[in-house]
Amino acid sequence: MLALREIRKTYRIGPTEVAVLKGVNLEVQQGELLSIMGPSGCGKSTLMNIIGLLDRPTSGSFQLDGAEISYDDDDKLSQIRNRRIGFVFQQYFLLSRLTALENVALPLVYRGAATHDCRERCLELLQRVGMADRAHHRPAELSGGQQQRVAIARALVGNPSLILADEPTGALDTRVGGEIMELFKTLNAEEGITVVIITHDPGLARQCKRVARMQDGVILP
Amino acid sequence: MIISANLQEAARSLLSAKQRTILALIGIVIGIGSVIAMVSVGRIVQDEALRQFKEMGTDILTIEKEFGAPPGAGPVKAQAPIKPADIAAIPDACPAIAMVAPSIRGSGEVSYGGKRLERVGTMGVTAGFLDINKLTMREGRFLSDLDAQSRYCVIGSQTAADLTKLGARPLLGTRIRVGDNLLTVIGVTNEVPAGGMRRFEPNEMLYVHITTGLRIFSNADLSTILARVGPGATNDLAREQLQSYFSSRLKGRQFRITSPEEIIAQMEKQMRMFTLLLGAIGSISLIVGGVGVMNVMLVSVTERRREIGIRRALGARRADIRGQFLIESLILSLVGGLFGIIVGVGASWLIAHFAKWQFSLSLGAILLGVGVSSAVGIFFGLYPARQASLLDPIVALKSD
Repeated sequence: MLALREIRKTYRIGPTEVAVLKGVNLEVQQGELLSIMGPSGCGKSTLMNIIGLLDRPTSGSFQLDGAEISYDDDDKLSQIRNRRIGFVFQQYFLLSRLTALENVALPLVYRGAATHDCRERCLELLQRVGMADRAHHRPAELSGGQQQRVAIARALVGNPSLILADEPTGALDTRVGGEIMELFKTLNAEEGITVVIITHDPGLARQCKRVARMQDGVILP
Repeated sequence: MIISANLQEAARSLLSAKQRTILALIGIVIGIGSVIAMVSVGRIVQDEALRQFKEMGTDILTIEKEFGAPPGAGPVKAQAPIKPADIAAIPDACPAIAMVAPSIRGSGEVSYGGKRLERVGTMGVTAGFLDINKLTMREGRFLSDLDAQSRYCVIGSQTAADLTKLGARPLLGTRIRVGDNLLTVIGVTNEVPAGGMRRFEPNEMLYVHITTGLRIFSNADLSTILARVGPGATNDLAREQLQSYFSSRLKGRQFRITSPEEIIAQMEKQMRMFTLLLGAIGSISLIVGGVGVMNVMLVSVTERRREIGIRRALGARRADIRGQFLIESLILSLVGGLFGIIVGVGASWLIAHFAKWQFSLSLGAILLGVGVSSAVGIFFGLYPARQASLLDPIVALKSD
């Protein structure tokens, strides 16, 4: 479902150009559980941003479900993010003023869904990640692991075909991190959702069906 | 759906930064409040002036001496004074005129017991003056035509109050010095609301009979004649008759005859300018308030960069982000506008109350308040909202 060819990304810092991605080639099939692993500074976050359509490559081709991504139409990119990609971030990125339930509902709000329809679906997903009893708590009242579960429910709510997780256990202790990882594995196995996890932790990467190693701006063969 | 979520969000975000929100609100409240207060005071003054004017009757023509030479009349000749008899003859010569009340402006220092009465103005009038000006007596009596040779005077309520303060008790019989003459008070007129259509301030007056006035005021000349149009006659007819009377009897003198309609039209024009000016002054504080809103919104955008990034990642389009912040500034200025309307209407009520004007709530001012505050919200919210929508999602997510 994902096909990246010769993806390059360079940043211009003053007079010098810094190449972060130096020709990344990567294919991801529907239903894969893939981890992209590498030391910090190897460009894996930049790659994730490009896959997540939050950033655009300097050159190269990126196809999503067989269609070339065009970066000219910002609204179209928003729509793809909204409908086909679920993000899970290291720092959870929940909105602190909203309750867990409202946070989960956000992607649906941007789809123009009606509130009462959302509610059912959101509660169902909070149930799925084991957070139904905390639906009306705000992020500050939840532990890190609980916040990440809410974030996963939010990533799932729009029925995406791809979950992109950037160091999802990075801020959690080993036990809670393990639980979150189990959740990803279950989602992948039971619902066939493609999961791409970015990590620097070899222990975490080993739990994935496939590991792509990254070093110095390229994916090692 | 997005709109209702945005409304909820905006309210929550504004409430979460209470202090900042309140400060921005104060700016808007003052801005809208002053515009509303200014505009509605302008309206109240206008209505009041018209009301008083109409109360005086729309059948009164004002005849004033025209200064300077008539067009094409050559060099200005010294004009002979008009004789009171010429004026007294007007009702007989012009059938459309029922009554005339000539008056002269006095001069000379007014004092009591050696203390000067600063505010007091002096006029020489006839017996008909009281009626034609819709004045009434509080004490004593008004001047009659038998007082022509007397040294009597009638005073306004404010003059009476000033005299009382100086220890003149009882008022009737008090002797006041005007120039080199001593005059005896024989009556006091009732107080009338300030700012009417009369060309003098009745409360602060001292009236003597016109004949007395011509004798004791130096350089006194007939300045204004009020003429009441008789029943069944039109103002235009009366004006025509007056004009022909003046041109036959008082050759070489120029008079201007003004009808109430003309005065009302002129007054309305002036009042419109006045209201416009007041509104413009109020608008300055409104702009300051608007800049306050913009400032608060810019801070809010900067503080919530990460939130913007998160929303963008979850699929918010630029337009969604722009809408969110625009709604926030709109709510801010509409709430401010609402309080501003209350403050403005309250202020104009107070002003009207203390000036003893008739208060009226003007719907136009309220609509203006709502309209202007939403315009302020949109205008001053657009720039911050645009800034927010143009943020690069990556940059926004990485900021803290």
